[in-house]
Amino acid sequence: MNTDSPIIEIQNLSRRYGKLDAVNGLSLTVRAGKCYGFFGRNGAGKTTTIKCLLNLLRPDSGSVRVFGLDPRTDEVAVKSRLAYVPDMVAFYPWMTVRDTLEYLASFRKHWNGDIEADLLKRFQLDPKQKASHLSKGQRTQLALIGAICPEPELLVLDEPTSGLDPIVRREFIETVIGAYQSGDPGRRTVFVSTHLISEFEGLIDEFTIIEQGRELLTMEADAARDRFRKIRARFAEMPKLNLAGALSVKTSGRELEILANGNSEQLLAELKTHSPEELRCEALSLEEIFVASDILKKAKA
Amino acid sequence: MLLQIDFKSGKPVYLQLVDQIRYAAASGGLRTGEPLPSIRPLAEELRVNRNTVAKAYAELENQGVIETIPGKGCFLKESNSPFTKSARAKILTKEIDEAVVAAHHLQVDRDAFLALVKERLDSFERKVKEKSDND
Repeated sequence: MNTDSPIIEIQNLSRRYGKLDAVNGLSLTVRAGKCYGFFGRNGAGKTTTIKCLLNLLRPDSGSVRVFGLDPRTDEVAVKSRLAYVPDMVAFYPWMTVRDTLEYLASFRKHWNGDIEADLLKRFQLDPKQKASHLSKGQRTQLALIGAICPEPELLVLDEPTSGLDPIVRREFIETVIGAYQSGDPGRRTVFVSTHLISEFEGLIDEFTIIEQGRELLTMEADAARDRFRKIRARFAEMPKLNLAGALSVKTSGRELEILANGNSEQLLAELKTHSPEELRCEALSLEEIFVASDILKKAKA
Repeated sequence: MLLQIDFKSGKPVYLQLVDQIRYAAASGGLRTGEPLPSIRPLAEELRVNRNTVAKAYAELENQGVIETIPGKGCFLKESNSPFTKSARAKILTKEIDEAVVAAHHLQVDRDAFLALVKERLDSFERKVKEKSDND
């Protein structure tokens, strides 16, 4: 396989539920070996998009390619090379943890038993426990073991850590980094949709923010943190400032908070000419960028 | 050597790792021949992408700060700097410029800035001395 060919390629994807446009002309590309974040508010179209990748839904228009294949016509070929952890995990209640893993393994050509043993130990899951007796956190852990042991080329995670306690969330992410990413780096791609952006911050190479079924912003994480800055300034007396290029300006008495979109140097220079008592500039985290995306949308319009 | 990532700094994550390891190497936090943490446990601990740590180590190896011994891991190289004097000056100039710009924005004047640089140099030398006394 050509290593430059994208793992996921979505072009102009649209999917409607009745009159509602869940996804409306979305395009994005995920390259091999990357961890790609897919951020959006509830109802923005994240899960619909993911379901189109897995052929759980059919697109109304546009194209979806996974490993260069069409999930509608090459469903088995696509699914045999990826693993999916949804936000709501369900197992057959009568099966034990051991039965469930054997059942999942029976669908796979390859199953890494060492990883399975390691993770069962790490998560302290009892193989004899019935799936129906597992907590939500344990069910997610079991699903993660089931997703990682086949060592798939693509790991699709849809809100994997929502509703879990902080320790389980932390372990989940460490497992994705450790057990999953430690294999051949060119064949370990992660596509993760999440609200809990700060927890995945260090993992994410590139991301797309989706809003009402459309792409709002696609950037590399390092570049985004370089471009979006928060500047705070305090003056002895509030001067008249020309901050036309700022994404947003908040004032409180003699203090200012400004969001800069790639023009922090210019804004800092303007502030500095008025001799601020205090001047600070810091990067926005990915979560703050996501929260600011409302402002961004207005700026774009 | 304990490493820490600050997403608020706006500096690419791999460069933060490079800088901190170089600092640890220069200040005695990491000694010649001492192993660096392996990529996987370090990535897990910092909860950053494994590729980010690998990229930082590749950069450090490029700069001649560390060497990889196959099957054993990464180690800090002999401290004789591989850089020529002008190359060292060039690297340092970039970092000093950043501090100068920050000082300018914070309205720290020339004398105060130079005084601070002297103080930091003294503090650094004290630390290095303490380390070597303890050995």
